[in-house]
Amino acid sequence: MTAGAAEILPSGGGALGFLDAGGDIAARSPLQLFWRRLRQDRIALISFAFIVLLIVVAVAAPLVVSVFGLPGPNVQNLTLTNSFGSPLGPTLAHPFGVDPLGEDVASRVIYGTRVSLEVGVIGTVISTVIGVLVGTLAGFYRGWVDTLLSRFMDVVLSIPILLLGLGLGAACSVRGCVKGLIQPGLSTIIFIISLATWPYVGRIIRGLVLSMSEREFVEASRALGASDARIMFREILPNLTAPIIVYASLLIPTNILFEAGLSFLGVGIRPPTASWGQMIAAATPIFNTAWWYMVFPGAALLLTVLAFNLLGDGLQDALNPRTAR
Amino acid sequence: MRSHKTIAAGVLAAALASTLAACGSSSSSSSSGTTASASSNGASSVVPAGYQSTVNESLAGKRGGTLQVLQESDFEHLDPGISYFALDYTVVFATQRPLYSNEPNSTAPTPDIASGSPEVSANNETVTVHLKEGIHFSPPVNREVTSADVAYAIERGANPNVANPYLTTYFDSIEGVPQAKGGPIKGIETPNKHEIVFHLTEPKGFFVAEALVLPLTAPVPKEYAEKFDNNKPSNYADYEVATGPYMLENNAQGKVLGIGYVPGKSATLVRNPNWSDKTDFRPAYLNEIDIKIGGSQPVIDRQVLEGTNVVQNEPVAQPAVQLAAEHYKSQMVLSPGGGNRYVSLDNKVGPFSNIDLRKAVWAELDRAALDRARGGDLVATVASHFIYPTIPGFEQAGSLTGPKGLDYNEHPEGDMTIAEKYMKLAGYSSGKYTGSSTIQVVGASSPPEKEDAEIVNQALKSLGFNTKLTLVELATMYAKYCDVPKEEIDVCPTVGWIADFADPQTVLNPTFNGKSIVATGNVNYGQVNVPTLNAAMAAAEVVKGREARAKAWGKIDDEIVEDAAAIPYDWETSPRLEGSDVHGVGMLWNEGCWDYSFTSLK
Repeated sequence: MTAGAAEILPSGGGALGFLDAGGDIAARSPLQLFWRRLRQDRIALISFAFIVLLIVVAVAAPLVVSVFGLPGPNVQNLTLTNSFGSPLGPTLAHPFGVDPLGEDVASRVIYGTRVSLEVGVIGTVISTVIGVLVGTLAGFYRGWVDTLLSRFMDVVLSIPILLLGLGLGAACSVRGCVKGLIQPGLSTIIFIISLATWPYVGRIIRGLVLSMSEREFVEASRALGASDARIMFREILPNLTAPIIVYASLLIPTNILFEAGLSFLGVGIRPPTASWGQMIAAATPIFNTAWWYMVFPGAALLLTVLAFNLLGDGLQDALNPRTAR
Repeated sequence: MRSHKTIAAGVLAAALASTLAACGSSSSSSSSGTTASASSNGASSVVPAGYQSTVNESLAGKRGGTLQVLQESDFEHLDPGISYFALDYTVVFATQRPLYSNEPNSTAPTPDIASGSPEVSANNETVTVHLKEGIHFSPPVNREVTSADVAYAIERGANPNVANPYLTTYFDSIEGVPQAKGGPIKGIETPNKHEIVFHLTEPKGFFVAEALVLPLTAPVPKEYAEKFDNNKPSNYADYEVATGPYMLENNAQGKVLGIGYVPGKSATLVRNPNWSDKTDFRPAYLNEIDIKIGGSQPVIDRQVLEGTNVVQNEPVAQPAVQLAAEHYKSQMVLSPGGGNRYVSLDNKVGPFSNIDLRKAVWAELDRAALDRARGGDLVATVASHFIYPTIPGFEQAGSLTGPKGLDYNEHPEGDMTIAEKYMKLAGYSSGKYTGSSTIQVVGASSPPEKEDAEIVNQALKSLGFNTKLTLVELATMYAKYCDVPKEEIDVCPTVGWIADFADPQTVLNPTFNGKSIVATGNVNYGQVNVPTLNAAMAAAEVVKGREARAKAWGKIDDEIVEDAAAIPYDWETSPRLEGSDVHGVGMLWNEGCWDYSFTSLK
């Protein structure tokens, strides 16, 4: 579909609404149409609500923690372990139990939301921006520009990104690399994730731009003497909003999982900063005695990824009804 | 030696100048028939009743049967001339017989292929050992063991193809050892087939005699092994023959590799047909020991607790300790003497060159919490000094509570008031660190080291330090950071040490003597280099007699504590698990690993 081609729909809601007195027929904007369709997708709406909740929790983590009367995420209290050093399970004071350091798991899960969303959202924004830019240039100019950029994307895609992450984590862990420029932690993870994922966006956008630039409206612009930049960013790109949004929304959960994976392997977020992946890793050897340490961060990860995926599907359906069930 | 599961320390500094005067009496190196009273060194105070290893019962153990061993890690070296790792020792000491050995519940040497105590000359420069007759090598060598085989075993240790990790540390006073490259060593003489004499260039006979318990002194047949030792590196281990009650299964040519030992997969110990119980103190009840390599520790621990005919031999995962204590109490044995654990602080560079800052951290640190994170009371005891239970000098250094009158050492739970007192003494009037240094903290990423590192990190933060905590693999932590002085790591929160044999010098000298500092593989982690301490150690090295040595080194331990050179927090107790029908006997001197020559099935 091309955005801007408004469908004409009855306004009254009922099947025969357009026969109502007055015959009030309205042309709806793409946004209205999109919202109308999304509104009917309960699952997407619930997912959306959950994500909003996550964002609120992440932004207001200290407040949320204090509202529930929980200790901070890094407050150690070894009296909350038994005489074997096993952490104690869920109680009223610690609804998700504690970890082997006596730190409150609920509090750490809440703070872990920050890391996951930061990595998911920032990583996705960066890779989408780069991918869209490179993909558009390649698809629009074709020829040697396309060859150069496409091969470059192929090269980047062939970097074994997990190994790169592990290698950076091992080599740069204490003093950092490149005179301390690369340090393990949030920014490095975001960098690695962006590096890994932008070519996927780039390839898709390139293909779309390729076909889009054959359209009449582009030729018309060209005939009117519009600059390349104008054609790319004012004519073509707005028509790609829908696939970009859909793709970005599906990239977020992938990135969240990637961060969890890196942290699980010990090269991601540095302790004591709470991260779900890191908690799951630490919980693995003691699962028999402390199931809560794995279950709650695991559930948080699962629900978050699921919510983003379902919302992504919903967005796709709403933005592109032809793919709907 | 490093604790279990870490890469063996590698070549220690040759600077381990260990002078020990001889007392020349029978009380020195051997106490045949009797086991050293472990309780005198505090062993009984750290292991609760019901978990002690009992050897007496097993003297009437059932004969026969096959024991299964589930083992997560592979062996490092099974060559008696190279092995230097607790897990390797379990096989090496079942298959090889050095001049002297430790009985399972003892840390005092017993004559093994030696017929009696070593004779140390009056001038302390000659050590003579007589060998038992009638000890034979396993097939395909079959012939009787002679003193020349012991001489060759030590000579080959200097061969770069073998490269024994501790030869120069303990035997460099033998004439010719410092120059040796694998050929005959001038100071090792074999007047007859059953006598070997060590001529020393320094009066260190007593210490050399003590060190004869190391597996390097286990005989190796030259005519058989030489062709393997000429390979670089030596592959004698692939064809090694045994003198002990067991041997690695081999073929007619003596090949062990792929038969009795498949790297990464399995090892099989079978009876050595040429072994006779008339020459050995080992009962050797079992017929066969099948070692399966691989798997994961938590799973192995469960399999052993729920299984029969089976044991494990590595540090038990924390949940399994709890499971065993709650449901399988009779299947867990706790062995004291698992070494010490301490926080090393860089004494040379950075904020912790200031003694008051070190004391402040010591006072603030919740050492009880560190031990709790390691698995609690059963497996950890709050340390107040460095010589750990089972090692002579433990009592003299203050037993469980340590030297008296040091306020920063008196509160295992940590005391902020005392910490602030020392912060003020260090010049930080607010009681908090206000300097600009960022403290590099490097710990290990696996439990329980991970938890300990985080506790130490938090304690540093609460004193106002700006820290950068990095967790890496345990082997990397040592090899790349804590062992390398030029990395200038301010805090290594989870280092530890275990003695090579029961002499306090082997606990304190490598780790706190300024002369032991080397560029890599350095185990004086904090670069402690106090002239008075170095001098005291030099003097203690030549002290004669066990009691006197315990006293001298106990006093040095106290001085290290007074200097707050590092912060001890744990004397480890090592748990080992056995199947319900196994009567395991642990090696007190080897982190409690099961002694296959004493273990039996019920």
